[in-house]
Amino acid sequence: MPGLPLPIRLSAVLLLLAVAVFPFYWMFVTSLTPSSELFASTPRFWPTWSETGVYADAFRKIPVATWLLNSLIVAAGTTVLSIAISLFPAYSLSRFRFKGKGIMGLSLFATQMLPEAMLVVPLYALFGQFNMLNTLTALILANTAFTVPVVVWILKGAIDGVPEEIEEAAHIDGCSQVGIVWRIVLPLIAPTLAAASVIAFFHGWNEYVFAQTLVSSESLRTASVGLAGFVGELSTPIHTVMSIAVIYAVPAIVFYMFVQKYVVSGMTAGGVKG
Amino acid sequence: MSAGKTTESLLTSRWTPYVFMAPVFLYLLLFDFIPLVKEFYLSFTSTSLLTPSVNKWVGLDNYRELFSNRDFLHSLWITAVYTIACVVLAIGAGLGTALLLDAPFLGRAVARTLVTLPWAAPPVAVALIFTWIYNAQYGVFNYVQRSLGIETFENWLDTPDHALTAILIATIWQIFPFSSVVILAALQGVPKELRESAALDGAGAFDIFRAVVWPTIRPTVMLLALFITIWSLRRFDLIWLLTQGGPIGATNTLVIDLYRRAFVYRDLGAGASVGMVGLCIAFAITLVHHRLSSRYELKGR
Repeated sequence: MPGLPLPIRLSAVLLLLAVAVFPFYWMFVTSLTPSSELFASTPRFWPTWSETGVYADAFRKIPVATWLLNSLIVAAGTTVLSIAISLFPAYSLSRFRFKGKGIMGLSLFATQMLPEAMLVVPLYALFGQFNMLNTLTALILANTAFTVPVVVWILKGAIDGVPEEIEEAAHIDGCSQVGIVWRIVLPLIAPTLAAASVIAFFHGWNEYVFAQTLVSSESLRTASVGLAGFVGELSTPIHTVMSIAVIYAVPAIVFYMFVQKYVVSGMTAGGVKG
Repeated sequence: MSAGKTTESLLTSRWTPYVFMAPVFLYLLLFDFIPLVKEFYLSFTSTSLLTPSVNKWVGLDNYRELFSNRDFLHSLWITAVYTIACVVLAIGAGLGTALLLDAPFLGRAVARTLVTLPWAAPPVAVALIFTWIYNAQYGVFNYVQRSLGIETFENWLDTPDHALTAILIATIWQIFPFSSVVILAALQGVPKELRESAALDGAGAFDIFRAVVWPTIRPTVMLLALFITIWSLRRFDLIWLLTQGGPIGATNTLVIDLYRRAFVYRDLGAGASVGMVGLCIAFAITLVHHRLSSRYELKGR
C-alpha cells in the first residue's frame, strides 16, 4: 500500500507479524511456565528459563521420540512416493496432446474436493483386504493419494517452463524419451522438485485423520495423533503438552523457513497461477 | 540392447503419453476413484461401522432422512457461513498483507518469511494452542478482553454464539498466509510503468488499485477463491479438535457431520450420504466458477 505514509505502513507490518507469530510464541512461553503460574489471573508473558526441564520430562514420560520417528517415516515416505509417481505424468501433461488429457486434468482437480474423512471408510476396507491395516505403509499410501494431484500440478508448471529445444537436441543425439525426462528435464526443474517435496513432506508430517483411524497400535502412533490425544484430556500438565506441541511444530517450521523461498516460487510458478 | 530398443519404440509411439500417465491414473483409480464409488454405493445402504461388509439396500432413505432433518439443514447453513467467511476473510487478509509486503522497506524479506509461518504449522498443534488461548479462566484471549473492560469468563469455543467465530479466527490465522503468498506473486505481474504513469497523472492509491492492479490479479484471486472454498468445505482436523462440531451444532460443518455419523453413531450409510451431498456442492461451485471465469476471459478479449 504505497499510498499510506511510512510510519502507518510499518506499524501495520509490525501488527501483522505479531498476529502471525503470537500463537507460536504463546505455545513456547506456556511450555516454559511453572505449573503454579499457569493458572494465575494474569498470564505470564515471558518464558521462565529455569523450566526447560519440562522438555526432558516430556521425552522421559511420554513416547514423544517414537511419535516423531513415525511422523518422520510417514512424511519421508509420502514425499518419495509422491515424486516418484508424479514425475512422468507431469511431463506427459506438459508436453503431449492426447485424448483424455482434459479429463485427466479435471480428475486431478476433483480429488481436491474429497474429504479425507469420507475416504477413510473405503480405504480402511481396502487396506484390510491387503492386510495392511495398522502399518505406516498404509498411511504413506493414503497420504500420497492427496499429495499426488498437487505435486503433478506443480511439476507440470515447472516443465512448461523448460524450453523444448533443449529436449530436441537430446532427441537427435539418440536419447530416449525416458532418458530425456530423467537426465535433462529433471535437473532443470530441481528447485521446483524441492518445493513439491516440501509440500508432500508437510502433508505427511501434519496428517491426522488417516493416522488416527488406519493405525491402532501405540508403537505406530504419529505425533499428530499423540498430540491430539491431549485435547480435552486433563491429567497431563498443560506445559508438558505445550512442550510436545513445540517439539512437533518447531522443527517443521524451522525447516520451512529455510526452504520457504523454493516453496513459494514452486507454488506460484506451477500450481496456482492457473 | 534389443530389449532397450523395444521399450524405446514403445515410449516414443502415440501411446507414450498414456504410458507416462499410467502411474497417476492407476494410483488415483485405486485410492480415490474406487473408494469414492464405494462410498456412493454405501450412501444407498444401511451399514454399521461394526459390520461394514453387511450392506442393506435402502434406496434413497438416507438422503430422505437428511433433508427432513433440521440438524442437517442447520449444518448446511453452518457450512455455508463458514466457507463464505473463510473465502472473504482469507482473501481480504491475504490481499491486505500482500499489498503491505509488496512495497519495499527495511526487513521486508524477514517479514515475508515470518508472515507465512502459520501456514506451515500442523493443524493439530494449532488446535491445541488455540484451545489454550481460548481457555475461559486462564486463556490469554479472555485476559485481553478483560483488560479492555469486557467482563468475560466464558470460553468462546463453548458458547453457541461465539464458537463459529472462534473457529474462524483460528482458521483464518492458519490459511491467510497462503493467499497472501499467492497474491503477492500475482502482484509481481502488475506492469510498473502503468502504475507509475497513473501516479504521475495524479490518480489516488485506490484508483490505481482498481484500474491497474486489480485487473492483473483478478484471475489469480478468482482461482484462489475456488481453492479456499473447496478446502474449507473439507476442513476437518482443526474444527474437530477445537469443538467436535459443538456446542449444540454451532460449528457442525458437513465434514464434521459426516465423521460423527460414521464414527460416533457408527452409521456408515448416513455418513456416506452426507459426503455425497458435500461433494455435489463442491462440484456445483466448481462448475459455476468455471462458467464465470470463462465469461470473464471472453470479455477480456
